[in-house]
Amino acid sequence: MFTGVGGTGVLTAARILASAALAEGENVRMGEIHGMAQRGGAVNCSIRIGKNVHGPIIPTGRANLLVSVEPVEALRNVDRIMPSGTIIVGEYRITPTGVFLGRDKYPSDEAILQDLAKFAKVITFDAAKLAQESGGILTMNTVLIGAIIGLNLIPIKEETVIASIKENLPERYHAMNISAFEKGKKASKKTITI
Amino acid sequence: MDIAEILTKGAAGRQYLLLGNEAIARGAIEAGLELAATYPGTPSSEIGDSLFRAVKQGNYFFEYCTNEKVAMEVAGAAAVANARSLVIMKHVGLNVASDAFMTLNYIGVRAGLVIVSADDPGCWSSQNEQDNRLYAMLGDTTMLEPADPQEAKDMTVAAFDLSEELEQPVLLRVTTRVSHTRSGVELGEIRPPRNNPNFERNPFRFVTIPAVARKRHPILLEKVKQATEISEKTPWNKIVGKGELGVITSGVSFNYVMEALETLQLKAAVFKIGMSYPLPKKKIQKFMASKEKVIVVEELKPYLENHARAFAQEKEIMVPILGKSQGYFSEIGEFTPRTVIEGIAKALGKAIPPNYVEIDNKVSETLSAAPPRPPILCAGCPHRATFYEIATATGRKGIYPSDIGCYTLVIQPPLEMADLLLCMGSSIGTSCGLTAVLDKPIVGAIGDSTFFHSGIPGLVNAVYNQHPVKIIVVDNQTTAMTGHQPHPGTGMTGMGVPGTQISIENVVRGVGVEYVKVIDPLQVKESIRVMREALAYNGPAVIISRSPCALVEGARKRGANEPIIPYEVNPEICQGCRVCTDKLGCAASIWTGEHAAIDADLCSGCGVCAQICPYKAIHEVEATERV
Repeated sequence: MFTGVGGTGVLTAARILASAALAEGENVRMGEIHGMAQRGGAVNCSIRIGKNVHGPIIPTGRANLLVSVEPVEALRNVDRIMPSGTIIVGEYRITPTGVFLGRDKYPSDEAILQDLAKFAKVITFDAAKLAQESGGILTMNTVLIGAIIGLNLIPIKEETVIASIKENLPERYHAMNISAFEKGKKASKKTITI
Repeated sequence: MDIAEILTKGAAGRQYLLLGNEAIARGAIEAGLELAATYPGTPSSEIGDSLFRAVKQGNYFFEYCTNEKVAMEVAGAAAVANARSLVIMKHVGLNVASDAFMTLNYIGVRAGLVIVSADDPGCWSSQNEQDNRLYAMLGDTTMLEPADPQEAKDMTVAAFDLSEELEQPVLLRVTTRVSHTRSGVELGEIRPPRNNPNFERNPFRFVTIPAVARKRHPILLEKVKQATEISEKTPWNKIVGKGELGVITSGVSFNYVMEALETLQLKAAVFKIGMSYPLPKKKIQKFMASKEKVIVVEELKPYLENHARAFAQEKEIMVPILGKSQGYFSEIGEFTPRTVIEGIAKALGKAIPPNYVEIDNKVSETLSAAPPRPPILCAGCPHRATFYEIATATGRKGIYPSDIGCYTLVIQPPLEMADLLLCMGSSIGTSCGLTAVLDKPIVGAIGDSTFFHSGIPGLVNAVYNQHPVKIIVVDNQTTAMTGHQPHPGTGMTGMGVPGTQISIENVVRGVGVEYVKVIDPLQVKESIRVMREALAYNGPAVIISRSPCALVEGARKRGANEPIIPYEVNPEICQGCRVCTDKLGCAASIWTGEHAAIDADLCSGCGVCAQICPYKAIHEVEATERV
């Protein structure tokens, strides 16, 4: 399950993995959110792979993997993760307007990671820095895809994912996204468990 | 392969990863589509947009219409003239088109006409969550209801065939979770278009004067009988699995039922209704008579459930029918696998999977910590500037009727500038009503595409009945919320060629509004001055606040290699007065705790915050500092 903020490439990242899964002959369902919800709001996008998959929505407590560039958005969708699953969080805060207005509070990263770890193993690293090094903040999701493949968390081959990145993105973005993928794969990551 | 190529050249027998909506577009092309018409609206938009992208490679005519009623008339007439036609809209769009729709059923069609209604349970992007299966009943219109993208494509082809067999329009009803699910879809062969448009004059069928309407109504009911026979036999109404327990379901709920049965380890026969109007009454009766219990699982209205009860009563079938009437399922919102698992478990008195409670308890402890993140206007959105100016010019003492579009998002803090909203185009009519009974400034806001869609009649009403309404047309020169479709004000057509560009100011003057001004909302002072002038004007006044959508303008600049120069805050000068944060609240605006700052990655360089800063602490980033 990919979660994040509208406009940060959540849909594109999920689509890259879904088309890689299809290329490997899997039955795949991907649930997307379009329209009003996309305007800077919280978004999530589910990918389901497997023979007995029917609908696009991941039931409560059934996600193997929860991936978010944004700590609070991981928290918002944490009911989906299964206890044996893995949560990957890029340490990139996007502060909601309500927090700047003093109406809401954004918890500390540490508190969020601790809360997430109550549900499953949490893996975290500075995806934003690696994205900036690759050519722009918008490659952050590709960094996360690299991390997923590097940690061997889904049964899709690396070369299929790279082909899918090329298939789903315009050619002028290939180099920076491949670089982002490689950086995400090799990044040193911190694991938090309770 | 891009979507245009998949739609027009994708190989039959091969699987492609398609969105439900893209699959519908391909299905229409496979069926030999000749004309498609739409007004965009989530969750239906990508059907029209895909056809728009493929229009140059395809053999069909495509247009974005001014509204859904016009689209229904365009496609309906084409189908009467023997051209296979598709008309696409969101659920509430069918309300707009319903006048044409209801009578189209009386006259019928000659070539296939498929009407797509994309419903939005859960109101992801809509003002209500009405269940348009009831429109099928109301209009006596055959309806198909797919559960996933593959079925969406296959049923689109089938809907064209059914329409031609019956000589009646056919509704294809999808929901958000079908439209916006992506999965592998196996394509079929593309049939050539019929290429034989012609109009057979037959006024005593096609001109619905009362004498004709009276004659056509019994014919329509005969067609329903004929469609019922088809419904009894069609493979779209199928029974999956075996058991003493029966489940009746349709659309996306079918998927959740299959998953729920697996989770609860239940054996059941599932009656999947694919043709949801007219229903296969005899088949449903036979199914119910052979079951110990029947559970009905469907989103929104108890449509199948009420029919099942009526069918059972007719045949004196005593099987318990379990569903919404006993409270096992809700009429509100969209279903998830979990709601279906819980509903079925409750209906059967089975234990609900225990880990839900455990997860819920853990979630309620932690989730309260997550600050809400509602959708907001983009960084640099000109709407934000316009509404800041309206707030300033009226001293926030007015009432602000809103309309359908991105600008409705000013309901969120800090602007909080939306007071009343019904439907597309309603801001002008509601402004008239409020002006008639209240002695307060009434400032209605309407988008450019919405103005053309259904704002004009309201404006004529304001002039004719002398309501001194103040209307701001927030013209960002695109249909932004639904994905940047063109409209009459942009002049680009659905065929991808320039058409006639219609000037909003000419329309406004043409209907008799005497006070008409065009402003650039990114010029704050001047805009406020004009707004104050309009407020003082004794009569209906229209201000067109024109500035391109920030997303479109950003993309244009990047494409043309034009620099986007962000702004920054000088922390030495910033006094921490919070005006930029509390009064404007741009998405690129940051509050560090002591002073304001700007996210350079997000800033579009519109400069509005710099203009409102009382201390002139905000300025363009110097060329030498730019990355």
